[in-house]
Amino acid sequence: MLIQEQMGIQEKLAILSDAAKYDVSCTSSGVDRKGKKGMLGNAVSAGLCHSFAADGRCISLLKILFTNQCIYDCRYCINRRSNDVVRTAFTPDEVCTLTMEFYRRNYIEGLFLSSGILHSPDYTMELIWQTLYKLRREFRFNGYIHVKAIPGADPVLIEQVGFLADRMSVNLELPTAQGLKALAPAKSRSRILAPMRQIQRGIQVRRTEVVPYERGKRFVPAGQSTQMIVGATPENDYQMIKVAEALYQNYDLKRVFYSAFVRVNDDSCLPVLPGGPPLLREHRLYQADWLMRFYGFGAEELLTESKPHFNVLLDPKCDWALRHLELFPVEINRAEYHRIVRVPGIGVKSAKRIMEARRGTALDFGDLKKLGVVLKRAMYFITCKGRMMYPVKVDQDFITSQLVGVERQKVWDIGTSDSYRQLSMFDDGWLSPAPTGEDFFGAVSGQM
Amino acid sequence: MPPVRREEAGIMTVFVCRDSLEGILCGVYDAWTSRLGHANVALEVEGRGNLRMFCEYRQVEEGEEKTEKVVRSIRKKAGQEAYEMVFRAALSREEEKADRIYRFLIYALNYKGDITGMLQIPAVYELFHMNRNVGNEAHLLIEFARFSQTREGVLLCTVGPKNDVIILMAPHFADRLSMENWIIYDQGRKKAIVHKAGAGWMVVQTETEEWKNRLEAGSDQKEFEELWKTFHTTIAIKERTNYVCQRGHLPLRFRPYMTEFQ
Repeated sequence: MLIQEQMGIQEKLAILSDAAKYDVSCTSSGVDRKGKKGMLGNAVSAGLCHSFAADGRCISLLKILFTNQCIYDCRYCINRRSNDVVRTAFTPDEVCTLTMEFYRRNYIEGLFLSSGILHSPDYTMELIWQTLYKLRREFRFNGYIHVKAIPGADPVLIEQVGFLADRMSVNLELPTAQGLKALAPAKSRSRILAPMRQIQRGIQVRRTEVVPYERGKRFVPAGQSTQMIVGATPENDYQMIKVAEALYQNYDLKRVFYSAFVRVNDDSCLPVLPGGPPLLREHRLYQADWLMRFYGFGAEELLTESKPHFNVLLDPKCDWALRHLELFPVEINRAEYHRIVRVPGIGVKSAKRIMEARRGTALDFGDLKKLGVVLKRAMYFITCKGRMMYPVKVDQDFITSQLVGVERQKVWDIGTSDSYRQLSMFDDGWLSPAPTGEDFFGAVSGQM
Repeated sequence: MPPVRREEAGIMTVFVCRDSLEGILCGVYDAWTSRLGHANVALEVEGRGNLRMFCEYRQVEEGEEKTEKVVRSIRKKAGQEAYEMVFRAALSREEEKADRIYRFLIYALNYKGDITGMLQIPAVYELFHMNRNVGNEAHLLIEFARFSQTREGVLLCTVGPKNDVIILMAPHFADRLSMENWIIYDQGRKKAIVHKAGAGWMVVQTETEEWKNRLEAGSDQKEFEELWKTFHTTIAIKERTNYVCQRGHLPLRFRPYMTEFQ
């Protein structure tokens, strides 16, 4: 292991942000806090994204590892013990200065602090606590802080950190215990779930207290989140969303993040993914996640044990609607909210606008467009004043073929960025180059 | 032959008002109280759009009393939300904003109940549209604004918004950076929000030489800007590079003002 002393802060930042980039969660949402006199910063509950990196992911928080030294040897991780990479660590002061100066210039919304395990979970957690304590008390920082709870750390330490942070997260990494055993032998599911349960209890206790024990001191006010890697182990989509649903229901999680597996280590246990990270699968999982959190869908409705994978060509909501054509068409001017929001092409925002607008007069298709409804998807599933937009057959095959045409281009864009493309005779979205002289010659001579 | 009345001949009376909330509201007052009929009056913002034929132009006289009257009746009859929508729409870059606000108020002041959600009415939809456009730009600029520290220790941020949104950005930063001296400067409109540490903020016109020198001073601490650029580069995952997605979230027009793209 290379440990370099006397490294400049620029190099440290480069190494430790590079090491932290595979952590997905970069949201700054969930808590509204006004600025305080003598302190720097506030928090906005919708969250703010301050920039976007070259991969199109938002940069909201200063996402860094405290150190990339680690005692564990998880197969998928770039910072695992057996990797020969340059190791370094910040000091608490460096983290504080970076956060404060970036925040003042409006580069970031706060700090995201994670860490490799240095010596022991307790030792690492204490370092993190020291840093946060300094940042809040000495540097008077009042912005957003997201921090990792280290599995296996002392519950007392986790509680103390929870009072300084806004959001905490413990990464589940792999959805099943077998997967975890195969790729991260030093971690166990029970050790990951223990701090998650502790944080949940802490939040609940705080919420149900009649008189708050210390005024203004809140425990993890923005809730907790977790992350799962997609495509490193053979779990299917059904298992993934079942786990996510269980986490939302049993652990009161605010968010579950999905991270398409990137093969950073050459390891025999890891799958080789020739098409790059499984971005489309990740995208479908997020779509399903939104359906479960905001649209009232259950995991069982979207996928079943016998049909455990998402449709490649259709988003989960369209897919569900096509399997339940008996529930459609929905009359826009009459139906209840929960039925309207389940129509493909209508989101939470447009459904709310419909509910408000239809109190005045009955709506027509032209009005729906103004309200933000995507008619090219919705028109097969709705009626306005008892009529459909066009006289279409409510027939599964017909509607599927129509919708797939809409969706195909999108799927293509997500699934294959910057790679070669399969030749297709029927895909006119992509122009092929004009035939050259050699092609003509080949065609004539029969040597294609 | 009896003389034809002007209104019957279809001659419009156009009320020309200053490009500000007060100007537009006074225009609304004048047009409304002119008793020419809503169909025969139009509002226009000074210096915007083309001159029209067959109309009579009238300059709007501004007065605090008129503004107050209009604001009071909007608040009372249409509600606070409608007033906020009008406020934001008045900051829009649309040429026809004054007339659209007028058309909206015809509905809003005559309708019993909340009209802001009834987007099927064209006048309401147009105001909603302007309001959303202004609100979205203000929100994006709150996110994408970049401050740099000048030699005097003042945080300076330059923006070039399409709509006149810096006034909507001010409360957010006044709360967030309350203990700092900062300036948000709108390059196109030559005006700025100036905030004093521990005190309030105000809008300043910055056309003078003194302001020009001050606003072009440039930053003093390159160190943190370099660090930020480093962070911005290393945080991206190479295997997922997707510039189209990046452009979708962060349009090119914001980038000349952002540290990491300079």
